[in-house]
Amino acid sequence: MSSTPTAPTAVLLRFERVGKTFTMGEVAVEALRDVSMEIHRGEILAVLGPSGSGKSTILNIAGGLDTATTGEIWFREHRLSDFSPAELTCYRRDTVGFVFQFYNLVANLTARENVMVSTEISRHPMDPVEALRQVELEERMDHFPAQMSGGEQQRVAIARALAKNPALLLCDEPTGALDFATGKRVLRLLVDLKNRLGTTVIIITHNAALAQAADRIIRLRSGQIVETHVNEAPTPPEEIVW
Amino acid sequence: MSILDRKLRRELTSSLGLLLAIVSIMAVGVACYISMASNYRNLQEAKTRYYAQCRMADFSIELKKAPLADLEDVGELPGVAEIRPRIQFFATVDLDGFARPLNGQVLSLPDRREPVIDDVVLRRGSYFTDRRENEVIVNDAFAAHHRLQPGQWIHLVLNNRRQEMLIVGTAISSEFAYLLGPGAIVPDPEHFGVFYIKNSFAEDAFDFDGAANQVLGRLAPGMGNRTGETLDRAERILAPYGVFSTTPARDQASNRFLSQEIDGLRAFAVVMPAIFLGVAAAVINVLLSRLAEQQRTVVGTLKALGYTNAQVFFHFLKFGLVLGVIGAALGSAMGYGFGGMLTSQYRQFYEFPELNNHFYTDLHLTGLAISLACAALGSLRGARAVLRLKPAEAMRPKPPRIGHSVVLERIGWLWTRLSTGWRMVLRGTLRNRMRTAAGAFAAAMGAAVLTNGFMMAQGTNYLIDFQFEWVQRSDVDLTFKDERGREALWEAQALPGVDLAEPVLNVAGDFRHGPYKKKGGITGLVQDARLTVPRDLEAKPIPIRAVGLTMSRKLAEILHVEQGDVVEFQPTKGLRDWLALPVVEISESYLGTSVYANIEYMSRLLKEEMILSGVQLATDNDPEHRAALYRELKTFPSLEAVNSRADMVANLRETLIQSMYVFILIFILFAGIVFFGSILNASLISLAERRREIATLRVLGYGPWEVGSLLLRESMITTVVGALAGMPLGYGLSWLTAVAYESELFRFPVVATSATWIATGALAVAFGLSAHLFVQWAVHRLDWLEALQAKE
Repeated sequence: MSSTPTAPTAVLLRFERVGKTFTMGEVAVEALRDVSMEIHRGEILAVLGPSGSGKSTILNIAGGLDTATTGEIWFREHRLSDFSPAELTCYRRDTVGFVFQFYNLVANLTARENVMVSTEISRHPMDPVEALRQVELEERMDHFPAQMSGGEQQRVAIARALAKNPALLLCDEPTGALDFATGKRVLRLLVDLKNRLGTTVIIITHNAALAQAADRIIRLRSGQIVETHVNEAPTPPEEIVW
Repeated sequence: MSILDRKLRRELTSSLGLLLAIVSIMAVGVACYISMASNYRNLQEAKTRYYAQCRMADFSIELKKAPLADLEDVGELPGVAEIRPRIQFFATVDLDGFARPLNGQVLSLPDRREPVIDDVVLRRGSYFTDRRENEVIVNDAFAAHHRLQPGQWIHLVLNNRRQEMLIVGTAISSEFAYLLGPGAIVPDPEHFGVFYIKNSFAEDAFDFDGAANQVLGRLAPGMGNRTGETLDRAERILAPYGVFSTTPARDQASNRFLSQEIDGLRAFAVVMPAIFLGVAAAVINVLLSRLAEQQRTVVGTLKALGYTNAQVFFHFLKFGLVLGVIGAALGSAMGYGFGGMLTSQYRQFYEFPELNNHFYTDLHLTGLAISLACAALGSLRGARAVLRLKPAEAMRPKPPRIGHSVVLERIGWLWTRLSTGWRMVLRGTLRNRMRTAAGAFAAAMGAAVLTNGFMMAQGTNYLIDFQFEWVQRSDVDLTFKDERGREALWEAQALPGVDLAEPVLNVAGDFRHGPYKKKGGITGLVQDARLTVPRDLEAKPIPIRAVGLTMSRKLAEILHVEQGDVVEFQPTKGLRDWLALPVVEISESYLGTSVYANIEYMSRLLKEEMILSGVQLATDNDPEHRAALYRELKTFPSLEAVNSRADMVANLRETLIQSMYVFILIFILFAGIVFFGSILNASLISLAERRREIATLRVLGYGPWEVGSLLLRESMITTVVGALAGMPLGYGLSWLTAVAYESELFRFPVVATSATWIATGALAVAFGLSAHLFVQWAVHRLDWLEALQAKE
């Protein structure tokens, strides 16, 4: 997979009639139904919806963590839905950065080392210290997760994600575990990343207020897209209230 | 079933693989205990019964020849209950259809059956009859080996006369429970037998009318600890008749080997189970501590619902106890099976009227008790941990562990060069101290068992090489009944196929050095002997000096002699003067207490022309020559024994090495279970604890093999560190075994070569890798998407 730059409006990721069914015991649950959408390079896309609406499933499929039951997913000119597990591993390794609600840092490693976990295996990584500087944590880089606040831990997680220079940054409730002020700071960081580095960011959240900072908003309900809204003037994170 | 028990049952069935790993370690421990303790009893009880049945002698005195009337004086000594004079000689046996003359020990028995000391137990046929003089009872193993039946005739060469003897029966006797020919360390029923003949016939055949050359004696009850004193007195009485040796039961060859085996079993029945059950306890400890941590919130909830501390404590303790019960049950069954195998192994070496494996209920109950005790001990830490939790605190998720740097990070230049993977691995290893210690302990024990097994095999091989390839180098040894002159050497030299013949002179006598005394003998060899080459500790040849003795280390230790000291020696024959002889060399020897000297020097000391008691032959390899040689030896004058080194080595390798391989395979299997079980346990727990972390790594783009390699590195560090520590432990164990088995008859060499260490290390790594295959499989199977979303 190459990461050659494309025009700003180029489609980075495309879902075509994607469906996902989970079988739990004897019950089949349809998590996604016929979802078609495009994600453009350099945009922040917010995926909104109540829990169980299929937000996480979209994120997992987009990030190559899971595969669709029906339909096709295209990443640039590659059909993601045809990828083998090994190819999906490469896709995650080289192309995608993840930020989780509960940070998922390795407790045994310092901030810098947590970033190195990602840079050691990616092809065009950023210097780990530089990545921490981007999230204003270079002073705390030798601290272990247990020695940091939640906001700091989430910033380390973001540094870890962006240090591999991902084409796509996927954030699962990135402010969900943070207080209001810290949450806004993390959001600002994501917006800055997009502005400075041109990273494509998908944020999934059930917090509608947060979506005001996005360029585009997709609403999901029961596994289907019920609304797509283009936000002509995204609200700066500092002005958002929730 | 209470609800907590139901919870327990489900927890047990949900982690079956892990439990199997622990249970098999426990089962091996219990099986070791049961099989060894059962065999200890099987042998001990068989020995007691057998000794009573045969009225086993408490001592024996071997002498040149003494009139029966004077021997009776020994029976009058205080503490002596009863004596029996006996005629005993070594003889060659000429079997039709067997090329080589075979060796036998000929012993007299009363003409009519009466209970005597060192009696026989008839197996086939009958005791002597009145019909003829020349009847013989053959020891059962020799008869069985050569398919000899009562009613068949055989030829014994007794006192230079070839006698035709009718076999009337076959028998065994407790003094030959472990039947050894002279100089042998394992029974060789193909080439050595015991032949009982009528006392009257023996008197005639050996010109021993009214005389005997051995006294067997039994002590009055409670006199066992004064055997030495009694023997000293007896020796003084019999001194005029030339006493070759006085042997308390303790030093009687068969009894010595049997008793040592029994003692060894008793020691191993403690050591081996302790190793395995110790490992099992450590592994349970890790598992239960993890379980307690994992079920923190459950514990909190149970307490909040009103369960008492004791209820929760016993619930966790029960987890270990169930493992203990299953391990003991499996171990009991395995132990009974192994016990049977071990008993049949012993039947190959030892001859008893009856040696069976029994089911000892009390041993199985003890096995259960120690299994439960070790399981409880292992569970205690985990179960106690749940006691300390307060309900409210327990119900909150555990705060993240405080991260801090580990010792290695202080070595900056090293730490900065390590990849994050290695840093994760090292921090994980050093922070989970208990788990790492348990893993290393298990690996150390496994490696110790392996090292010990390999060293036993190497020691046996080395002993055979040293004694029968390097020291003894002749192809055929001839022993004469009486000393002969130089002409015997020329006769031997002229035998078919003989390349080289060297004379040997064995002189029995007493050594004395200050207060230390020892019966023994000196072997005279020619100056540049090539067929017997004494060697030092490094197996380098020691030349025979023109003057002075080359003494084996064991005898030097007994006599407190060092190189350069002078010892006194009184030959049993000849003028019987005390001679002062310098010890000029100390040699190494693993069998007996040999002393070498120049044969001419010896002859001079005995004030005789050169005399010889035997000849050693080096022969060519032509089978026709060998057959011709054996043919002529059947009529060679004054021949007491013919030994073929090749036959001896073949028998040694066959019996000793084969049984050794069986034991080594069992050792490897047991060590494998220890390695496998403990590594599997530690890695699977590590995997379970770090599901979320591993899922994160997978999300970040790490492949399953890369994630697996983190776990592999952790287990390998523990395994390698443990194995390295275990190797010297194994060496120590072998050394202790050697010390425990050391006797005048036999010493076990402690040999470890690079092969020992390489094989142990390679097996440790191989077991580690094979356990990791399961872990890797679990990594592949891990539903990391679910792990990622699961609440901690």
